[in-house]
Parts: sequence; C-alpha cells; structure tokens
Amino acid sequence: MRKMFTLLSLLVVASMALAACGGTSTQAPATGGDATQAPGDTSAPSGFHAADTTTLVVAESEVGIDTLDPALAYDTASGEIIQNVYETLVFYDGDATDKFVPQLASEMPTVSADGTTYTFKIRSGVKFHNGDVMTPSDVAYSFQRGLLQGGTSSPQWLLTEPFYGVGVDDVSLLVDPEGNLYDDREALSAADPATLVAACEQTKAAIVADDAAGTVTMTLKQAWGPFLPTIAQTWGSVMDQKWVVENGGWDGSCDTWQNFYGMASADDPLSGIANGTGAFTLDKFANGEEIDLVRFADYWREPSKLERVIFKQVPEWGTRFAMMQAGDADLATVPSANRSQMDALVGIYQVFDTASNTYGPEQEVCGYDETALGAAKFTPCAAGETGNGGQFRLRIGRPVISMDVLLSNWNIATSEESPNPYIGSGKLDGNGIPADFFSDVHIRKAFGYCFDFDTLLNDVFSGEAVQSFQLPLAGMPGYFPDTPHYTFDLAQCEAEFKLADLDKDGIAAGDDPEGDVWTTGFRVQMAYNQGNSTRQTIAEILAGNLASVNELFLVETLGLPWPAYLRSQRAKQLPLMTGGWQEDIHDPHNWYQPYTTGTYGGRQSLPDDVKAQFRDILERGVSETDPAKRAEIYKEANTLYYDLAVGIPLEVTTSHGFSQRWLQGVVLNPILSGNYYYPMYKE
Amino acid sequence: MTTYIIRRLLLVPVLLFGVTVLIFAMLQFLSPVERTALYVRDFPKNDKAIEGLIKRYGFDQPIYVQYWTWLVGKVDKTSGVREGGILFGNFGYSRSASQPVAELIARRFPNTLDLTIWTVAPMILIGIWMGVQAAVHHNGFIDQAARVFSIVGTSFPTFVFGLLMLLIFYANLHWFSPGRLSDAYNQVVDSSSFTHYTSLLTFDALLNGRFDIFLDALRHMFLPILTLSYISWATFLRVTRGSMLETLRMEYVTTARAMGLPERDVIFKHAQPNAMLPVLTLAGFSIVGLLGGVLITETVFNYPGIGSAAARAATSLDVVAMLGFALFNGLILIVANLVVDVLYAFVDPRVRLS
Repeated sequence: MRKMFTLLSLLVVASMALAACGGTSTQAPATGGDATQAPGDTSAPSGFHAADTTTLVVAESEVGIDTLDPALAYDTASGEIIQNVYETLVFYDGDATDKFVPQLASEMPTVSADGTTYTFKIRSGVKFHNGDVMTPSDVAYSFQRGLLQGGTSSPQWLLTEPFYGVGVDDVSLLVDPEGNLYDDREALSAADPATLVAACEQTKAAIVADDAAGTVTMTLKQAWGPFLPTIAQTWGSVMDQKWVVENGGWDGSCDTWQNFYGMASADDPLSGIANGTGAFTLDKFANGEEIDLVRFADYWREPSKLERVIFKQVPEWGTRFAMMQAGDADLATVPSANRSQMDALVGIYQVFDTASNTYGPEQEVCGYDETALGAAKFTPCAAGETGNGGQFRLRIGRPVISMDVLLSNWNIATSEESPNPYIGSGKLDGNGIPADFFSDVHIRKAFGYCFDFDTLLNDVFSGEAVQSFQLPLAGMPGYFPDTPHYTFDLAQCEAEFKLADLDKDGIAAGDDPEGDVWTTGFRVQMAYNQGNSTRQTIAEILAGNLASVNELFLVETLGLPWPAYLRSQRAKQLPLMTGGWQEDIHDPHNWYQPYTTGTYGGRQSLPDDVKAQFRDILERGVSETDPAKRAEIYKEANTLYYDLAVGIPLEVTTSHGFSQRWLQGVVLNPILSGNYYYPMYKE
Repeated sequence: MTTYIIRRLLLVPVLLFGVTVLIFAMLQFLSPVERTALYVRDFPKNDKAIEGLIKRYGFDQPIYVQYWTWLVGKVDKTSGVREGGILFGNFGYSRSASQPVAELIARRFPNTLDLTIWTVAPMILIGIWMGVQAAVHHNGFIDQAARVFSIVGTSFPTFVFGLLMLLIFYANLHWFSPGRLSDAYNQVVDSSSFTHYTSLLTFDALLNGRFDIFLDALRHMFLPILTLSYISWATFLRVTRGSMLETLRMEYVTTARAMGLPERDVIFKHAQPNAMLPVLTLAGFSIVGLLGGVLITETVFNYPGIGSAAARAATSLDVVAMLGFALFNGLILIVANLVVDVLYAFVDPRVRLS
C-alpha cells in the first residue's frame, strides 16, 4: 500500500514538474485571418506590442449576463454582448452621444413634417450569423416583438411611450388601462381575445415593413424628440424572425403574442443564444465564467481586425491586476479603491476637455504624484523628455452618464398601525419630524444649502467627479452650464430654515414667538443600504453640516440591510434618500421622467399638482423635435426643479479607464454599453 | 454491514428534506418585498417590477404553497411547460449565474472534482509523511521544524498565501497562470473535435490523446493544489504526529521493539496503521471540503469550480442557487460520511463489532 502511495505521489509531483516546465507560451492553434483595417483607426502607434494581436481579453469582475434577448436585456453587461453581436438601424457616431449614423438602415430616415412617421431604407445584402439574409420584415418583427413582449423588468417602456403614447409604459395597458395586468401573463391571456388581437394589430400597424420597397415605416403616437437615441440602443436590435421562431420565440401571430408577454430571463428561450448581424458572433456562452465572441466573416462591412474577444470572469482584483501586469488581459475591471495600483504603471494618458467635449492629446507620463487628485497625479513629459515607459494607457476626466440626487419624501408614510421608525416622534417636538416635514420648500432648500459638495467630490470621489447643477447632462438639450444651482452656504441654509413654517401659522420659523423648527429643532434618520459607502457619506456630510447650523438639528445616519432598505423605500417610509440614475438614452426626457412623474416622483410622494406641472413640460419637451426649442422647454423644467427643490442634484463622476498601451481604436462613448469592439485592434 | 449501509442511505432523503425545510423556514422571516430584494441588486428602474417579481415567484403565497411549488414546480397554463420542481431535476434559475442551478452545478462540479483528485494525494500523503517524521524524531530538529511549519501553515491565511503564490509564480515568473486552461486550448476543448468522456478535463485530455492539454490543465492547477495542500499539511502533520506519538508509546509497540523487530518495521508496519484512524477521519472531511468547493482558493486563482460559484451566489444573495448548493453539499457530506464510516469499519475491527 505504501509503495502505491509513494508511486502516486511521485506521479503527481512529476506531472506538476512537467507541467511547470511547459512554460507560459502554450501552442495556440493557428486561426489565421487577414489584417484589414477596421474603421475608426486614427491612433498613433504606441510602440507597445501584444504577444497575440488577434485575441482581446477582458478580465471582468463579473461576467454575469442576465439575458441575450435584446428585447429583454436592461443591464450593461448584457448590453455589451448584444451591442457587439446585434445591430440597430442607426448607431452612435463615434464618441458623440448625440449624433447618429445609419447602421442597418442604409441612410438616415425620412421624417414626416409632423414628426410622427419615420421611414427607414433597410440595408440590403446584410446577413445574420446563421446565413439568413436580413429583410425589412425582420426589422419590423423585431420592434413588434419587443413591444408585445413588454414587461416591467425590460427596457420596452422606452419604446411603448413613443408608439402607444406618453405614460403608456407597458403593452398590457392597451388591454387593461387600469394597470392590473402588469407582468401577469396568465391574467393577460385570460383577457378578452378581441382586445388582445386589437392590441397586437395596433402594434403591427405602427411598424410596417415593405420588403419590395426595402423600407420600414414607423408611425408614432406623437412626435418624439429622442426617437433616434431610443432606437439606437440594444433594445432596437434587429433579429432574424425565422431563427427566433425556430428557437421557440413568438411566431408573429396576433393570436399568440400573449403567450410571450412579460418574459423573464429564466424562461426566455433566447436568453443564452444569439444570432445577429454584428461584427462578432457568439462562440461560447459560459455565463459566470467566460464568454467568447469571434469575428463574423460575412459581416456587411469589412471584418473586424480582432478575431476573438474573450470576456473572462476574474472576481479577485489581485488576479486581474496580475493578468494586466502579465499582459494576459487587455482590459480589466478596476475598482476605484485599487486605481492607484494601476495609476503607478501608467505610461500614457489623455485628459477629457470639457470645453471641446473630447479627450485631449495623448501625453507621455514623466512624473507621478500619488498624493494628488485625478489627472493632477500625472506630470506630462516636456518636449524632448522620455516617458516612464509604463505599460498602461489611461483616459481620465469624462463625465459619465449617471448621477446621484438627494431626495426628500414630501409625504412620509406613517400610521398608528405601522409607525414610521425613521421620523422619531412623528411630531415637530425636537424629537422627530412630522410626515409633511419636507413639503415645506424652505426645508428642502435649506437641506440643499447645507450640503458640502466639495467634501463629497474630493473626499468620496478623490476629485474625480463634478457637481451636478441640473438633471440634464452635458451634450443634451436642456443642459445649461450656468443654470441656478445649490451651493454649500451655511448662512443661506440657516436663512431658509428661518423662513420655513412647519406649524402652518403663517409666521416664518425665525420670527415665530410660539416656536417652529428653528427653535424646536428636529430629529430624523437618513438610511442607506449597508455597504453603499457613497450613500453613507452623503448622509454623514448632511448630518454634520445641519448640526453645525443648529445643534437642535439631528440627522442620524442608519445603515440598513438591503432587504430592509428596499422594504422601507417601497413603503415610502424613508424621509431622505439618495437616488441614483444611469441614463438609458442621452436625452433630458430620460432624466426628468423618472425624477418627477415616474419612478422617483413616486418614491418622493410628490403631490399631483407638482407632477402635473412637470408632466406638461415633459409632454411638450418630448414631442418637440427641434433641439433648440427642446432646450428652452427643458430650461423651464430646470427652473421648476430648482425653485421647488424637488431634489438636489449632487454629482456626476468622471471616467478613469485603463487599457494596455497596444490596444487601439477604442470608441470612448459613455452611452454605449461597455465597449464596442469592432474598431479595436492590437498592435 | 449491508443493513448499516442501507439504513444510512435511507436517511439521505430525510436529511435533505430537513435541510430544505430549515432554509425555507428561515426565509419566511423576510416579508415578500424583502425577499424580492434577493432578486434585485439595486432599485429597479421601474418600481412596478417589484410587484411583478412578487407575483412571478409567488412570494405572497403561504409557505407550504411556495415549498410545494419549489418541490414540484408550476405548469405554465399557456405553454404547458413545467417551470421549476427539484423533484423533476429542476433546482431553479440562478440569478447570479443567469442559468439553471442544475446546469451550473453540472458544469462546475467536474472542475472541482478534477482539482480534488489531483490535490488529495499531495495533500494527504505529504502531510502524513511529515507527521510521521516529526513523531519519529520526537523533540529533535525535524520535529521542531515541523512544529514551526505547522504553526506558520495554520496561521497563514489562504487568501494571502494564494495571492503571494500568484504574485511570485504568475506576475513575476510567468510560470503558472490562473484560470482553468489557456485560451488557445479552451477553444480546442470547446470544439467538437474534443470528446468529453468524463467531464474531468485532465482525464478527458489524456483520453483524447492531447497530452499538451493535460499538461496545460495541470499547470493551471498547480498553484491551487499547492495552496490547498500547504494549508492542509499543517493539520495533517499535527494530527498524524499526535496520533503517532500516542501509538508509539503503546505497549504492543514496545513489545515489537523488544522482540527485536527493525525500527522501520515497528514504525511503518505496526505503529502507523493504527495511528491512521484519526487521520482517516480528517482525510474524509478534507475531501468533503474540497468537493464542496474551496471558495477562497478557487476565487484567487480564478478556477471555475463549484466554490467560486457558491461564493458568488452567496454575495449576490442568490437564494435559489444557495438552496441548490446547500442541497448538493448536503448530499456530498452525507455520502462522504457514509464512505468514511464504512472505511472505518473496514480499518478498525472494533467499529465493525459494535
């Protein structure tokens, strides 16, 4: 027995030694390929050379794809794969978030004078990855299928509004306008068959294909300013109807659509497979481990220079860092806490220039100061100086497409049966707040003036964020860099508290002889979900400044487990919260809708009259197609949002992205879902 | 013995039932909305999605209804397709892995099994050898060195040791890469030309005649094996040493020596077999631990085994997947315990008699 053990041990050790001797340069099977240059190649040679120029490896902390069905996918990770496998009628023009070029349409659409009818000429000769030729019918089917599949977890609400009307956020509302059928396929299927068919036919009538003419005509319920941005995203991807049906998807019949309504990724037959027209085909789908895309040889443009793109899940940062150092990964997820490790190895960098809205020229790094913030860490080389030779490239300083906003609840839920634990006594007695505490505009404004934005930007985001003055982001109608906004001003904060009238006796708190918030003080809890350090710090900044204005003002910060936080928010019990939003499309409607009449408006319990004011502005804004006129309309929204202090926009973080220096052709467009690999190549 | 095994086997479903009931009961402390939080990572963009999830997963149903649905699934009235039902082999859909739990386990477990097979021999044999050497050279230099080694091994966190190995052997020396296989070989393994006879990569590579792939797989497993072995050697060393010292003091060993048997025979033929009983128990638990997935090691070395999948499910509060892993681990534990008990009975006549 012992001899056997010894033999076995020797065998294992010998195998290991043999394996170790194998070294790192494993013999890869030759895949060949031409070196034709993909569009978008404008970068100067880096002087750095990859060992393998055909395969791009992305080491991600998580390769978790919810679904590959473009009609259902609503997360960035899924969007990145879909964006590279499927294509849309129009697509973003390079780095621009507001300019479009035809993709599967052969030219930009013609639009009727009233802005409600878009006619797309469909590109001919385009093949799907399975060899099927794309037709206008496929295009129409793709949009019809998405709309009819609907569901509140999907992005389809972005399309239902232009096609079915403002406020219609799901196809089920065509069957039951009361909204009792949301996400309930069983109940929807039990509805009147004629109503079901009518909903489907309405959808089909709005999107009509003419295969002979090679066109698709889309008729909107009303003019829709952001229609092109809406269909340029992954939910506007074109699918192969024949392939979808073969794989268990909707057959296109108005008698069956309800069977596919409210699809979830778990029961969607297209969640783990893909067949688009994009530059890459899905080769391997090991979700949670690795996803491989390979170059599509029959692509309608010249094939990509990259032959293979591999997304590897590498949860541990140390491992990802080692892979980047070893050159085994070209791109990697870098947590903000670990940026300094990568910064120290940066050899070339580009800083975003807000004025020109583009990244500045590449600069070699000659000095690095780890104590400085943002781009100031790097000293560019002077003329004639040689750079430090660091292996990484850094692009830094471009505002991203998400924002945090400080939100208050205007009508905090509480009752005798279910007392609210976050508002103390529930009265203005110094030991709590009344439920309508934040319905007083001066209280909301005071909170805005008491927020120290610089501390947030510098301490939490290490200087890599900018204060948001308004909801619209730069580059969209309604963005005005000089718009009125709240600044950190303790004197103004105090003045606003003294103007408040919480006991509603008509006398401002600062002058009220019977006492009001200024003399009674208050106690309230600001909760955050445990682990979310940004929300925690925002609460702490606010608490500290309010206490410094008046020692009777007590904001207690409270970390809640995620389930409890969600429950409290759903029950509208949270008095104060930080609400984040990542835009779906680069348009002010996608900001004002959620923050006023939609998701956050509901969470803040905004009164109907306030919502009505915003609804009026938003309906005018979204149905206007002239960007200049839209800008003026959204300026009204900015003013109203500021005057009422509905929310206090806090910050937009800025980019800090690394890659290997040999990687070129990167499209730096923040609205894209992750990277667009077609133009990329490795030197 | 047969009756004993049958009795233990009959207990398996009862124990598994107990595990599921326990986990289900614990979940009932959360309200339907709180349980929905386990299915979303942040606030959904559309608030109505929460109600949709409650409806879809029946969180507002009584616990017995939910439990029954989990056991037998639910038939979609429109499509006639059965969704879920562990009794039908469907452990549900893992949100964190975005795939059915059964598929996830089926894909990940062979990797863990492969790693376990290659880890067991160096882990146990070298650990035992060091323990025996320490005992034989009691209080000598080798014993003292072994003690130090044991203390260092016990106190060295796996995470730190693993990252250190990665830093030295991958980032600096470029000898051993993380992951399961090199990208180029991955493509071969995924292609139709490679037959998956056993789903165990190293064995399949040999059966396909691809010694290069076999070596590449071993090269990727070297650091995980070294890490797992290192942290276990300390334990095996201490247990073996203690057991050996105790055995060496027994009268029958003294008798053997008095009879003039060579010291080598006394130690290896007479003392060591009896000293191995506690080591056998330890080995059993160690193997069960490896089969259940080695969370930290798999994560550090990006090894796609069941441990890293379970870790991800746990950090994502993926209850469905966690239930699946709990059941699977329970099954492994029960079966492994059974095997150890049977082995014990074979090794130790006293167990058989009792």
